[in-house]
Amino acid sequence: MNTLYNTHVKLLAFDFLALSPPKPVGQSSFSRKGVPLSRAESVGVIVTREFKPGRFLKFTIDDGTGCIPCVLWLNQLTSSYFSRRSPSSVRLIAEIAERSASQIQLGVVARVRGKITGYRGTMQITVSEAVMEKDPNAQVLHWLDCVNLARKCYDKYCKIGV
Amino acid sequence: MATSAISSGELVTLQELNPSLPSFKEGASFRVTGKLEEYNVVTAEAVIVDGGARLNVDTQHLTLNLRRGSIYQFIGELHIEPNDQAILKARVGRNVDGLDINLYNQTLKLLRQFQDEQMNASTA
Repeated sequence: MNTLYNTHVKLLAFDFLALSPPKPVGQSSFSRKGVPLSRAESVGVIVTREFKPGRFLKFTIDDGTGCIPCVLWLNQLTSSYFSRRSPSSVRLIAEIAERSASQIQLGVVARVRGKITGYRGTMQITVSEAVMEKDPNAQVLHWLDCVNLARKCYDKYCKIGV
Repeated sequence: MATSAISSGELVTLQELNPSLPSFKEGASFRVTGKLEEYNVVTAEAVIVDGGARLNVDTQHLTLNLRRGSIYQFIGELHIEPNDQAILKARVGRNVDGLDINLYNQTLKLLRQFQDEQMNASTA
């Protein structure tokens, strides 16, 4: 059982950008050293921001080892993807996404979690949660978490062939 | 897979940011941290220091409130002037008062070690 598949793996940007694309093409999971992953968490400085109201917010986080493109969808109220959910749930999801979008500004440090997706040959995170980190040590602690988890956990999964 | 169009700011200390650094080139992107020692309101040029090293930072594109004595972190591109003086043209910046500088510097070394390990493992 691949226990990394259903968790948000903490990855440095250079590690995230080196994930292998799904094989065969069209399958949902990317992999790190042969271990399938679906979700990731990253912490970094917001360095680009492209806002399309009612549609999406695209932004990039720079964690010092690379830049990860992210997309936060803002089209919940008009998308057919949510048509089967209760209107009140969809409204709540849309409000949360809008609030996150307003907080994601250039120069801010954000902790972002979401699904690992690909778009036109570029790896990205489709954001499910974003929290602004005000503590200046949050970035450093994330770096330490990434290194520690890679050495003691993630690399071990690839060795035991999970 | 293709990487992002924007360059990541290479993590360096002010002491390391000098011509002996291989990536010390015009237009290279860096992330630097230091205490604000001087700030010229007219030119929006700041001077940050860390230990014995100093760096000029062009902050004209930032909407940051700069205060002498506070610690700031900037990401931007290096510009090397005709007199060989380097200035960082910052595109983002933030106040990092409260940052554990010792832990930060030690973690930079650990990050580099880790990146080298991972690169050696992938080419092995």
